[in-house]
Amino acid sequence: MARRDYAQDRESIKTFLSEFCKCDDDGKKQFVYGSQLVKLAHREQVLITIDLDDLSEFNESLAEAVIENCRRYAGIFSDVIAELLPSYKQQEVHAKDALDVYIEHRLMMDARVRNPMEQRDERNSFPAELMKRFEVGFKPLSTEKAHSIREVKAQHIGKLTTVRGIVTRCTEVKPMMVVATYTCDRCGSETYQPVGSLSFTPVHDCPSDDCRVNKAAGRLYLQTRGSKFVKFQELKMQEHSDQVPVGHIPRSMTVLCRGEVTRMAQPGDHVVVSGVFLPLVRSGFAQMIQGLLSETYLQAHRIICINKNDDISDKDAELTPDELEELAQDDFYERLATSLAPEIYGHLDVKKALLLLLVGGVDKRPDGMKIRGNINICLMGDPGVAKSQLLGYISRLALRSQYTTGRGSSGVGLTAAVMKDPLTGEMMLEGGALVLADQGVCCIDEFDKMADTDRTAIHEVMEQQTISIAKAGIMTTLNARVSILAAANPAFGRYNPRRTVEQNIQLPAALLSRFDLLWLIQDKPDRDNDLRLAKHITYVHCHSRQPPSRVKSLDMHLMRRYINLCKRKNPTIPDELTDYIVGAYVELRREARNQKDMTFTSARNLLGILRLSTALARLRLSDRVEKDDVAEALRLLEMSKDSLNQTHEHQKGHVPNTSDRIFAIVRELAGSGKSVRIGDIMDRCMTKGFKPDQVDKCIDDYEELNVWQVNMGRTKITFM
Amino acid sequence: MSLLARNRQQLLSFGCCYLRICLKYILMPCLMDVASTFNSQRDPTELKESLKDLYAWHAIPLLNYTPLHKLKDQCLVRFRGMIQDMMDPEIYLECYEVKSTDGNKRVQHGKYHDCLKLAAGEAIDYNADSNVHGERRTLFVVSVPGLNDWTKQHESKCSPQPQLVSQTQWPNNAKKRTLDDQEAMEVEDDNDAALKRKCVETTKSTSDDATAAAPSVLGSEYLINSPLPSRPSMACMVKVYEDFDSYKLNSLVDFVGILSVDPSLDAATIDTEGFDSLSELQATHPSPFLIPRLHAFGVRQLPHANPLLDKSLQQPADAGASEDPSQSSVHKDLRMLLKLCLFDDDLAAEYLLSHLISSVYSRSEMQSIGKFALNICNLPKDSLAEYTTKLYQVLELLLPASHYLPMTLETMNTAAFAPKKDYETNKLVSGMLQLAPHTHLVLDETCMQQGKLEANGVHAVQHLAHLINSQELKCDFQYYQIDYHVNIPVLVLSEGRSMLPSDFVLPINADTKAVQLLDESLKAAHHYLQPARLQQFRKYLTLARISPFNVSDEHTEMIQQDFVDMRKANSKSNADDLHGLLVLSRLLGIARGKDALDKETWQLATEFEAKRRQRLQALPKSAAQIRN
Repeated sequence: MARRDYAQDRESIKTFLSEFCKCDDDGKKQFVYGSQLVKLAHREQVLITIDLDDLSEFNESLAEAVIENCRRYAGIFSDVIAELLPSYKQQEVHAKDALDVYIEHRLMMDARVRNPMEQRDERNSFPAELMKRFEVGFKPLSTEKAHSIREVKAQHIGKLTTVRGIVTRCTEVKPMMVVATYTCDRCGSETYQPVGSLSFTPVHDCPSDDCRVNKAAGRLYLQTRGSKFVKFQELKMQEHSDQVPVGHIPRSMTVLCRGEVTRMAQPGDHVVVSGVFLPLVRSGFAQMIQGLLSETYLQAHRIICINKNDDISDKDAELTPDELEELAQDDFYERLATSLAPEIYGHLDVKKALLLLLVGGVDKRPDGMKIRGNINICLMGDPGVAKSQLLGYISRLALRSQYTTGRGSSGVGLTAAVMKDPLTGEMMLEGGALVLADQGVCCIDEFDKMADTDRTAIHEVMEQQTISIAKAGIMTTLNARVSILAAANPAFGRYNPRRTVEQNIQLPAALLSRFDLLWLIQDKPDRDNDLRLAKHITYVHCHSRQPPSRVKSLDMHLMRRYINLCKRKNPTIPDELTDYIVGAYVELRREARNQKDMTFTSARNLLGILRLSTALARLRLSDRVEKDDVAEALRLLEMSKDSLNQTHEHQKGHVPNTSDRIFAIVRELAGSGKSVRIGDIMDRCMTKGFKPDQVDKCIDDYEELNVWQVNMGRTKITFM
Repeated sequence: MSLLARNRQQLLSFGCCYLRICLKYILMPCLMDVASTFNSQRDPTELKESLKDLYAWHAIPLLNYTPLHKLKDQCLVRFRGMIQDMMDPEIYLECYEVKSTDGNKRVQHGKYHDCLKLAAGEAIDYNADSNVHGERRTLFVVSVPGLNDWTKQHESKCSPQPQLVSQTQWPNNAKKRTLDDQEAMEVEDDNDAALKRKCVETTKSTSDDATAAAPSVLGSEYLINSPLPSRPSMACMVKVYEDFDSYKLNSLVDFVGILSVDPSLDAATIDTEGFDSLSELQATHPSPFLIPRLHAFGVRQLPHANPLLDKSLQQPADAGASEDPSQSSVHKDLRMLLKLCLFDDDLAAEYLLSHLISSVYSRSEMQSIGKFALNICNLPKDSLAEYTTKLYQVLELLLPASHYLPMTLETMNTAAFAPKKDYETNKLVSGMLQLAPHTHLVLDETCMQQGKLEANGVHAVQHLAHLINSQELKCDFQYYQIDYHVNIPVLVLSEGRSMLPSDFVLPINADTKAVQLLDESLKAAHHYLQPARLQQFRKYLTLARISPFNVSDEHTEMIQQDFVDMRKANSKSNADDLHGLLVLSRLLGIARGKDALDKETWQLATEFEAKRRQRLQALPKSAAQIRN
């Protein structure tokens, strides 16, 4: 590679800084860096970030050179800026801190005393580092991919590199000396020593002419006030779990932060760090052994916390055209759905619903009111129908997810706890599973096993998507924009077709209505299904891999990125569809009334339909919801209802006895109340054409089933 | 004094392996001289070539069984162990230029070395163009945790005793000579404990004056990091130079390389000024006498830990001489032995045997296929106390590696089960469940008392359940957890049904007579286990574990049809039952020396499962089960 002409680069950097401009919306020219230089000159800004996108627009080869040899160019940039600054000064600047005053005084003194002809010792003149009151940082090209720590190798040394990971440890912010200033105890002259590395050897003998000529042997003393310090922090960062290959230990890396990039991250933060990858020069540390080894670190230029800033476009996540083409096939919806937990056979509609849950609907805020877009799903089902596996798969697939079991978590564990710090006595908030899964999925297994009091804790989350805390002096609202995926067993272990849906579920209506979809997965012997299941399992055992299916399942990584892509879309519902949706909803309500539906059809269902249809539009990467989306949403809703009702109807179809019909009447009479007078039942049944002995039999039958109790005087029945 | 000691050593080692050495001299003279001391001028690639022959491995002393003082710095050694932790990569100088004061330049190789090799008056030129940087990785390897006594004995018998050869290498190397002296000194106080103490003391004294804020010095136990604290392992830091991605955590590997015990590698000797994290420095640079370094160039991934079937270990003459009888006859003998130990219960013997040869042979996204977690319950109460340990004593004799874990409340509440990352020292602190593949874990639930299970205990139960259910070990990295694949067959012994999940719950059908005769039958069992027979059993179990097994299409259909019928007959049977049947039939087949499924084996499996289910039905039900 030919050596670059640094003098020429210096000139072009100068032109870039002073002349680079962008046109804003009004067509006016904005001098991006010029205006920043003015602020720097006035000490209103400390950090100037050079966007390499801009630089590459200005001079592509220069931008490449900066990436290749970042440290050197950072120096050149800062020299150029130091040179330019005086010309950008528009007004007198007031001293901001002691060092400003110090510099000002020294400059004045210098101008007064200085004999222009006199030759001075290099050490005694002001080093550029002392005078610079700004910092230069680079922002990498927007096309730059974030590497995992394991991908950073020796060839990256000296280059501007972007790394993604999680902060595991950080030191306190300490002052680090950049320029050491000494005063001589004999001649009083000042000596400056720029410090480049982590340690330095103090100077003792005064190098000034006075002392040297007079052989006065003046001693130098370090002056804290005149020295320049920068903030300094050392971070340890580690790979994130999805970057670690199977069977390996996550790698870690040291990040050194100086100046304005300190205090940007705390342990536990997910960060993207751009910086220069450099070998660490440690002095002293047993050069003999470690002379053979070189430690490396990343000199941070820019740190972004992903927790705080979710809009960060992760270039890693971009899909290649090949992958897009693979996804863009006709049956992509089904393919995506079957690719969810490919080990679990069948349940296509459930998987479709789960896919929509991952994608999520669109959040809306009409007039400050917030309507959630997240979809909540509850899976009910017999033991051994792979509910837990589905949950486990979803929690692994979702970018951010938490997996808990109902029995293992209390209400506090799910929401947030207030803790007292044992050392400081301060109160702290500790986020629970729901807070940690913010913007993600919270999977709760064994939902039915949870204590009622704990379950109510999540009511607020499911609709308002927040958690309010009022405890021991802390009153706050935490965001919990989370989709809830719950799995529950029916109340009696297995689904009992002889009982009603409500009895089988035994969850309060307030909670049930908050689930957009409620799915019952039943395990019924069925020849075809069983045979296919058996084929599947034997295949897995014999061939040690999944059987080839009609549609090849997609790789988890690809799915994750596609879902991420979908989430960026915000489709809207066009006006012409409103009538259709309204009509569909009215129809639903009417049906529910007529059929004495045991499931709940409420206004929440309407919102649910909207959420599902926007999620479907997102899945198509479309900006508009179409009629088909709504139709599919309605179909899913219908299917989920069917899964609950079919057993009920099934039973009715086979044993249409009078008791059941009478029972239905009683239920209706009871309404929301728990007890009904038998007299009322008799009256109502007479009008419907039943005989008293039939009513009595029905009452006895259901008492046996423990559905209700009859009081001693046989005047009233009470539902259990 | 030191000379005397060395002579004595030499004499001793010479005497005891005289014969073997003679043999080797005839067979492989080239390796012999390599094994004694590694010469840096020698080309390592040539050595690597010679290591392709597994018999060539015989001549290299095993670091596991050779005291460090008998080995020289820079000599060729071998270490067998499990990868416990992986450290961050190191960038080192593969070639560097050395300038001496008189202006001479020479190029020195840095590969397979820890320290710069500089003569007096020489200095390294960091900016020379001929410097080449390379990357290497450090693996933290511990000797296989839970290795049973017989395995250790056998392996140490296989290891040749090194003789200290008088020093001829490294002319004019001042530093080298001081090292020799030190080594000789260590020979004198022929005591590991003293050595350890010395290390700790030196560390202490240096850290005291280094920084006042420095945390307490890390103990040697923490540094060695044995997964099983009750059965300490030996640790070694192995530097590897190639195929970085082929190393998996918890896998068994056999390394051959150059030993490096330069005392300057100890963090205690380093000037610690300017280091923020002293404890991390100490953890990454422990004393080489505690944890030696090994620069590997010969690497072999081990499929199992059984030394009897390892060609790279020289088998002592007494073993393997007799003709091996057929698989099926060994199977019969072994089943009889197990039956004897299991209160004359034939079914239990079949299941236990299947358990002993089980192994996860395939993994898909969410399932691990082939696991056979067995719960033997309903053990007769009156003979419980000793029975479980006695049963384990028999198993211990049969298996190369196993661990017996009494599940007392105290162990559950206090012991570390899963590995946890310590960010202070950047080490993966091991837990009891970090075991090498095929290490049998025997959990004794009969030791459990009523009482309070604390947070640690609850986690321990969760980790065990996760291990049993998916054969994965959750390592705690504080900010997230990572699952690592393991292959640890778990046997739970309990009075009633175990609180842990298992694939097969088998209530034992104790014969009242057999209960009374238990002591005698166990004595008989030990008597029956003659060395020759033991070797047969040991070989048989490992061979069976790694042997392949097929299912033909014709039988697949039969299985499918059976499953459909089974579902028709009993709607409660589900996919798990089919998984269980398939695994069981496979293992029953393998145990009988078959390589493919046949109808007979399948029927045997269904029959056994039916019997087992019957026994389960007969068990008294707990309140929780009745409610369901």
